[in-house]
Amino acid sequence: MNKSIIFIIVISLLSLSNLTAGGGWPQLKAEGYFKLSQWWIVADQHYTDLGLIDPNVTTGIFNTSLYGEYGFTDRITGVLYMPFFSRAFNNNLVSGTTGEVLVPGDAINSFGDTDVGIKIGLTKRGAPIAVAATILFGVPLGIEIGGSQNNLQTGDGEFNQLIKLDAGKSFGKAYGNAYVGFNNRSNGFSDEFHYGIEGGISLANSKLWLIGRLYGIASFRNGDASVGANSTSIFANNIEYTSYSVEAAYKVQGNVGISATLASAFRGELVLAQPSYSVGVFFELKQ
Amino acid sequence: MNQKIKLSDLFILLLGIPLVLTSCIGDDIINDRVDPMLRIINPIDTIAFDSTYQFELSYLNNIGREEAVQNISWTSSAPNIIEVSPTGLAKGLMTGEAFLKAEVNIEGEMISDELLVQVGEMTTAAVTERTGTIETTSFYTLEGSFTLSDVEGDMVLAIGDDWKASSNLPGLYVYLTNNPSTTSGAFEIGEVTIFEGEHSYNLGNQVGLNDYEYVLYFCKPFNVKVGDGAFDN
Repeated sequence: MNKSIIFIIVISLLSLSNLTAGGGWPQLKAEGYFKLSQWWIVADQHYTDLGLIDPNVTTGIFNTSLYGEYGFTDRITGVLYMPFFSRAFNNNLVSGTTGEVLVPGDAINSFGDTDVGIKIGLTKRGAPIAVAATILFGVPLGIEIGGSQNNLQTGDGEFNQLIKLDAGKSFGKAYGNAYVGFNNRSNGFSDEFHYGIEGGISLANSKLWLIGRLYGIASFRNGDASVGANSTSIFANNIEYTSYSVEAAYKVQGNVGISATLASAFRGELVLAQPSYSVGVFFELKQ
Repeated sequence: MNQKIKLSDLFILLLGIPLVLTSCIGDDIINDRVDPMLRIINPIDTIAFDSTYQFELSYLNNIGREEAVQNISWTSSAPNIIEVSPTGLAKGLMTGEAFLKAEVNIEGEMISDELLVQVGEMTTAAVTERTGTIETTSFYTLEGSFTLSDVEGDMVLAIGDDWKASSNLPGLYVYLTNNPSTTSGAFEIGEVTIFEGEHSYNLGNQVGLNDYEYVLYFCKPFNVKVGDGAFDN
């Protein structure tokens, strides 16, 4: 799993880390959590393989997605992350001397790579620490190579399997959760170790949730060195980062609410060096 | 029903506006200005006695593009040794040496190129190979030496054994160019697939020895320069 990583992978990873909000608690039977959201990042710089920041032509990606968790049983929850509209673009490169467009910008729109899987509760309800295991399958439904310059992507073209273990604990109106995961990637891409912690607190009579996250990815660097050699991907394989995000979720009415998230990286390698944003509307299905 | 309408409006407001406002293709401006230059592209260091030699010129404008210009003047520092016509046709008249100078006025600025030429037994090219050193202009590893030369009728760009580049560079391409800030107007040699050690590119007869001033390395997917090297000679 070497060189070809792109926006969509970054997006998928960042989004996934943020979106699997259930932590160690699977949904109860016939209950669920659904979120329609817009995630985007626009960046004119990125972290190099040495972790330093270099410029790039302004490029962006937008995912309009549906995230859902649904309890098939009290222990087994289905999980879906489906970016049903994904747009990637880059800017025109314009001569400051003549005003001539030197390299025209471009954009592609498509379905994005989708994650589907299940979460299994490993502990009983009410256990001091809730532990759950999740397996997610990354289905490459996006465009691997697109645009007139073949440098736009809404998918990575590889089928991956992320196995994740969450452990969470409630503290009255607050909670804490930690996870580790192993992402097995195909098509010569390097496998990855995922990790993260998060904490949340409810305010305003449980209408408002404030959530903070620290999470990251470390590459095993065990991929095929030739991957991406002929690729027009935006980023090389073996991305790594340590990021944080803050999210505010507010229940507007009943079980319907809105949320907004800001995420950025403390450090990174071969990943965009600008914050990402997400806004969404969520619905909690309760019995 | 009212609730559905409200949610729909909410969705449009929260999800649609960011997409509409920030996902359009904009412009990134780059500073691609270079100093205009007039170049003698077929220089010689010796002209045979009593023979003629036609010099050729190339004018590169402020973005490194070749442009036709009028009213170029030629002068010889020693016209009794080498005389040169207004069109750049030189003739060796007697043993010795002279500076030949081509000059043109571009919007009030005099731009010139000059060459020291001897009169000898036979006409010989001033340069048979051109060399330079690649340096990174980014935070990616990229370094090495290069030589451009004619090898049995083909122009060959040879990269030295001191070549080293980050293999994590996505879509790294190498070019010959007269503007090190952009690939516009550059000659694309190809994608870099060797990231350490000597290698070469056979350019056939597509380029001349003196057509370009720089070797340029560009990250094609990002349209951003990674490194370059000017020819030393």
